[in-house]
Amino acid sequence: MSNSDTGVVELRGVVKRFNSFTAIRRLDLTIKTGEFFTMLGASGCGKTTTLRLIAGFELPSEGRILIDGDDVSEVPAHLRPVHTVFQSYALFPHLSILDNVGFPLTVRRVPRKERLERARAALDLVQMGGFFDRKPSQLSGGQQQRVALARALINEPKVLLLDEPLGALDLKLRKEMQHELKEMQRRLGITFVFVTHDQEEALTMSDRIALMRGGEIVQLDSPTGLYNTPSSLYAAEFIGETNMMPGEVVEVGQGRARVAAFGQELDVRTADAISAGTPVTLTIRPERVAAAGTAGPNRVEGRLREIDFIGTDIRLVYDMPGGTRVTMRRQNIGSAAPVPGEPGWLEFGDGDLRLFRH
Amino acid sequence: MSATGTARRGPGWITRTFVHGISGWLTLLTFIFMLAPIVVLIAFAFNSGRSTVVWTGFSLDWFAKVWSNRHIARALNVSLVVAIASAAIATAIGALAAIAITRRQFPGRDVLGAALAAPLVLPEIVLGVALLVFMSYAGVSLGYRTMIVGHVLVSVPFATLIVRAAASSLDPQLEHAAADLGANEWQTFRMVTLPQLMPALFTSFILAATLSFDNLVMSTFTSGVGTTTLPLRIYSMLKLGITPEINALGTLLVLANVTILFLVMGRYLPLMLKTNRR
Repeated sequence: MSNSDTGVVELRGVVKRFNSFTAIRRLDLTIKTGEFFTMLGASGCGKTTTLRLIAGFELPSEGRILIDGDDVSEVPAHLRPVHTVFQSYALFPHLSILDNVGFPLTVRRVPRKERLERARAALDLVQMGGFFDRKPSQLSGGQQQRVALARALINEPKVLLLDEPLGALDLKLRKEMQHELKEMQRRLGITFVFVTHDQEEALTMSDRIALMRGGEIVQLDSPTGLYNTPSSLYAAEFIGETNMMPGEVVEVGQGRARVAAFGQELDVRTADAISAGTPVTLTIRPERVAAAGTAGPNRVEGRLREIDFIGTDIRLVYDMPGGTRVTMRRQNIGSAAPVPGEPGWLEFGDGDLRLFRH
Repeated sequence: MSATGTARRGPGWITRTFVHGISGWLTLLTFIFMLAPIVVLIAFAFNSGRSTVVWTGFSLDWFAKVWSNRHIARALNVSLVVAIASAAIATAIGALAAIAITRRQFPGRDVLGAALAAPLVLPEIVLGVALLVFMSYAGVSLGYRTMIVGHVLVSVPFATLIVRAAASSLDPQLEHAAADLGANEWQTFRMVTLPQLMPALFTSFILAATLSFDNLVMSTFTSGVGTTTLPLRIYSMLKLGITPEINALGTLLVLANVTILFLVMGRYLPLMLKTNRR
């Protein structure tokens, strides 16, 4: 039934209201078969509500939800071919690990022998063999997360929904699990719909990211697209680190504009139709700011304010003319770092600067 | 704390003396006050004479007498039947009501909650009279049925409160998880909700059975011919004069209660200690 044009999950004009509060304004979304799809946003942006709508814990106020081509808008959660991994793991405390993982098979009346075999195999898959008889409370958070994953995968769902599954893990474990999840998704070929507020996590793992805000999608793009070409100031700010500099358009040319900033004029490439005199914000990623020895086009002189040592990188914060600060990030390659108080020329490449209207 | 502790007679010494000295004695006195009557009751169960005040010698005769008393055996039987039946019914009602109140949204939910707790604050004697009047109006003859209904009425509020506390501490996410994994409502209830409520249901059953076994007021109004419970029997025995037979019966009841308590504690204490240690 499913093919590459119609997605495995489709939301058509979905609206969700809770009493007077509108959680989802209007969502049209197609999630493709086999992709790692992430919904990213701050808390309250509607990402978890969207996931719950797909899972069937909430029914849409308007619009249709299709899974694998079937309209499931009114279908209760237990009849939908999707499984969820919850942030709190939601393992059944009174059941052993093996019975937890076998639960989806128990409710489908799969014979005991087959159920136990498949539960063991699923636990082996997440490297949790040998914990069969334990109770969930006897496992660490990371182990519980693996068990929850095995339980959600045992029935080979069309779509796996993951609600901030790594949110409760410590940083090191989270990095490991990110890698493992991504690996597993590729190997099994199951569509993952992942919800997170952690932009780094989203960038690392996803094939596509829907950045959400106020119950709407702000931008739907690949991780590189979202990072390199944010379509709004909000996206630029939310994803990664960004320098923001106020300016005003002075002159407009073919696919480019001259913008007054820091008391001088900078060249910016832009596809936007924009007229002279418009106040704008220029953004540039810290790693795209280049150190330049001398004055030149698109170069501004600042004074080094402070240096942060991060490990692999060094962050240099410059005070710029007009009171703005600009952060530059460069690799720690062992060369002598400048001293705070020293002046330095910074270059803003015309292709690295992005221009946003207010 | 350490500063006042090193000063030998700092301003806190009165408090410290009270806390370390007098409060210990107060605790002891409280225990004596509570337990002395029971100790005296048990002691005089072994009296050889007919008096419950004057000690004349040791004997086990009164226990033998209790053992061979057909009325007591019959009353014990009635009490147990009523206690088990009413506890089972009260726990079932309490559990269903508690789950409905904590898990569902429906009109009149708060009213239902309040109505179920109402017998707790109404004088039992009023409930008893009301039930008696209602039963005679409805033409139901007094007996096991009326007494079980009466005892259920008394213990349902407790059962509801106990199961409600347990049900409200359940993680609603678990029921979502069960549904998500393909369990329908009945499977979710049977395989996820109910097993987690078992300790509360057990506690509720034991408490309701104890309340019923102790009950005098409701039984007075609802018992019929041939359904005299143990408390009613003891009360009528008192009217004929107090003999150490009652002491012996009381001693046996205390023994039975303590045994049950230890059985329950033995089952749940290790569990409680384990969860507290985390």
